[in-house]
Amino acid sequence: MTDVVPAPRRHRGAVVVGLTLAVVGILVAGAVLLLGPGGDGSPAAAATATGFQDGPQGLVPQFVVTCAYSHSAYDDPIVAPGQPGLSHRHDFFGNRSTDAYSTPDSMLGQATSCERQLDTAAYWAPSLLDHGQPVSPLGLDAYYRPGPGIDPASVQPYPHGLVMITGDHTATTPQSTAFVGWACGSQGEPEVLPARCPAEAPLRLKVVFPDCWDGVSLDSEDHTSHVAASVGGHCPSSHPVAIPQLTLSIGYPISGDGHDLSLSSGSILSGHADFMNAWDEVELSRQVRACLNRALVCGVVSNKRDDIVRPMPSH
Amino acid sequence: MKRSRTVLLAVLAVLGLLAGACSSGSSSSSSATTTAQGAGTEFSGNTIHVPEDFPTIQGAVSSASPGDLILVGAGIYKEAVDVETPGLTIRGLDRNATILDGEFTRDNGVRVLGANNVTLQNMTARNYTGNGFYWTGVTGYHGSYLTAYRNGDYGIYAFDSVRGQFDHSYASGSPDAGFYIGQCFQCDAAILDVVSEYNGVGYSGTNSGGDLVIARSEFAHNRGGMVTNTSTYELCYPQRQTTIVGNYVHDNGVASAPATDTTSLAMGVGIAVAGGRQDLVQNNRIENHERAGVAVVIYPDEKPKDVLPTGDALTVPCSEARQVPRADKASLPEASYFEPLDNTVKGNVVSGSGLYDLVYGSLAAADKPQGNCFEGNTYTTSAPADIQTVMACTNPSGEFTGQINLLEAFASPTPPSGDYKTQPEPPAQPNMPDAATAPGMPAVNVPEKVDVNAIPVPAQR
Repeated sequence: MTDVVPAPRRHRGAVVVGLTLAVVGILVAGAVLLLGPGGDGSPAAAATATGFQDGPQGLVPQFVVTCAYSHSAYDDPIVAPGQPGLSHRHDFFGNRSTDAYSTPDSMLGQATSCERQLDTAAYWAPSLLDHGQPVSPLGLDAYYRPGPGIDPASVQPYPHGLVMITGDHTATTPQSTAFVGWACGSQGEPEVLPARCPAEAPLRLKVVFPDCWDGVSLDSEDHTSHVAASVGGHCPSSHPVAIPQLTLSIGYPISGDGHDLSLSSGSILSGHADFMNAWDEVELSRQVRACLNRALVCGVVSNKRDDIVRPMPSH
Repeated sequence: MKRSRTVLLAVLAVLGLLAGACSSGSSSSSSATTTAQGAGTEFSGNTIHVPEDFPTIQGAVSSASPGDLILVGAGIYKEAVDVETPGLTIRGLDRNATILDGEFTRDNGVRVLGANNVTLQNMTARNYTGNGFYWTGVTGYHGSYLTAYRNGDYGIYAFDSVRGQFDHSYASGSPDAGFYIGQCFQCDAAILDVVSEYNGVGYSGTNSGGDLVIARSEFAHNRGGMVTNTSTYELCYPQRQTTIVGNYVHDNGVASAPATDTTSLAMGVGIAVAGGRQDLVQNNRIENHERAGVAVVIYPDEKPKDVLPTGDALTVPCSEARQVPRADKASLPEASYFEPLDNTVKGNVVSGSGLYDLVYGSLAAADKPQGNCFEGNTYTTSAPADIQTVMACTNPSGEFTGQINLLEAFASPTPPSGDYKTQPEPPAQPNMPDAATAPGMPAVNVPEKVDVNAIPVPAQR
């Protein structure tokens, strides 16, 4: 038996792919951004903080929560608490009550746009603008995994009330695609700029949050220094507690030509996202224990159409 | 709670003694209770009743001990149940009236998370955005007399799991597969006596195989009937050693069925072996497909995550696949074309195919069998022509002619997906015998042994 992976004739490869799919009707094991420890595995990669993980589905323990788009507002309960209307426009997912006055305690027990009903955390990101007009997002997939190379058994649930921000809302030059990037479809790898995406794999913003915590502070003055990214499979001594690496993949109904994209925070390069942990504490602990600590693939974003991050009825 | 503490203690003691005997020489001195907690390979003798003892299934599951039986009365349970305790049997008293309902806002009906030997029986899961019944990361699983319909991904599903069986079950209205067994080698599993309809595909198995048998079942009115394939988007590639025998696969190609972007392309194919190896498709009745009856073809892996293993690496069990280094990303091609190798298609009765009853499609060796063979099938049309001569299982001979021309033959677009939320409600399904009185049945004696060669071509129904 031999491994036959012929080099396709380039001029017809893509067509053959499509048509052969039509013949056999295959189930692409679809996947999302899937991840494997170690990034590209190079020494250089090991020496710097590692974010996105890529590889076959099933490689990395995870649980996944899919959440519909909930609402938008010029609010930011982390950066501008108690000051409605002072922020740039944000799209909110998860907890449906999130506004400028929200606190982790106020959100507990509220309705959620997530399919896991006890995920009452809040996720938000700047609104995507097309020709200056807000684009209504399709929804998001939230992947919770051990950070790259982190011992799964060492991962602890976020403390109630932990807040995190990833990405730089002021950026006007490219950010590291290890943490912020644009991709086509759930399987696409993040790039600095949005590409022209096919209809079956529309645009996604992908962001990765830090996976290590200082063990003390739920927040910090700059909202970032209480957490850090692991390096080479280890949390730094300043941030010794391994927490789930949260990756958000936010879908937008953007494909094809004719778009002029920016973000409500400014440049299309200013991608960022916020997380406020208001999960039901028992449920989050259970998911971390059952899935991450035991190195289990508890769920995958499977072969669904990429534009399905599904709209859900309002509550 | 109707528990029998005496029986429980006796069973715990026996299990503890057995475990102790098996672990002689170990420094471990686990108590009987501790050992049994990890076992669950026998019925504990305890029965928990829902809603009498606990109003919710999750409540009962969370308080259960390994090997317990949870009997669930008629009712609509609006919950998503996670199971972490081994050896549980969760059984509805009435398959058609014990209903888990996701209301299109919850993800899975029952999700078994790394808990071995869990059996789910005689109930219905509907309206979940993910899966109806789902096992992941387990050794030992059994789904029996289950009904899953209008679920957003799969109906009845085992991932990264071995030693299991689905039987006497029904799945419909899933955009992906009604039944799915994925990412396992050796799977040591069987799907027997099931019905799957109005799904994206009736059965799907990506990178699964090794003593995996799908038999005596009906796959009808889906977009595609059965697809087993190799892909690097999940682990444990390539797909291999799956036996598909004695199934009635007919009238797939229903445009109103829900679909994913890829299953929508399965339209009108009965059985597809896509990039699979050493699969056996035998004694199936395959009728009325607008494209092909049986297709043994390449699998095109766009933006592959890896290359396929070769040599000794092919024997690595799935449980160790996470440790196998992957190819350097920079070296991967834009697309890989995984060839079907060493598959056997014999004794099938194939009719009513719009293009071809039997198809072999290769890129690398379009005029060579590559170990694939066709023998003793009843059919009318094939590509290549005279397929049972040029690709005979014994002494193939003659020149390949009339190979499939993908560019010309399959250019038509497929219709958009139907809505999974509005697929037909299934008719009442048969109940398991003695649901109220049968003991707990931890999933230890599965799969049942199947005499593959004793299974005939099924009759038309």
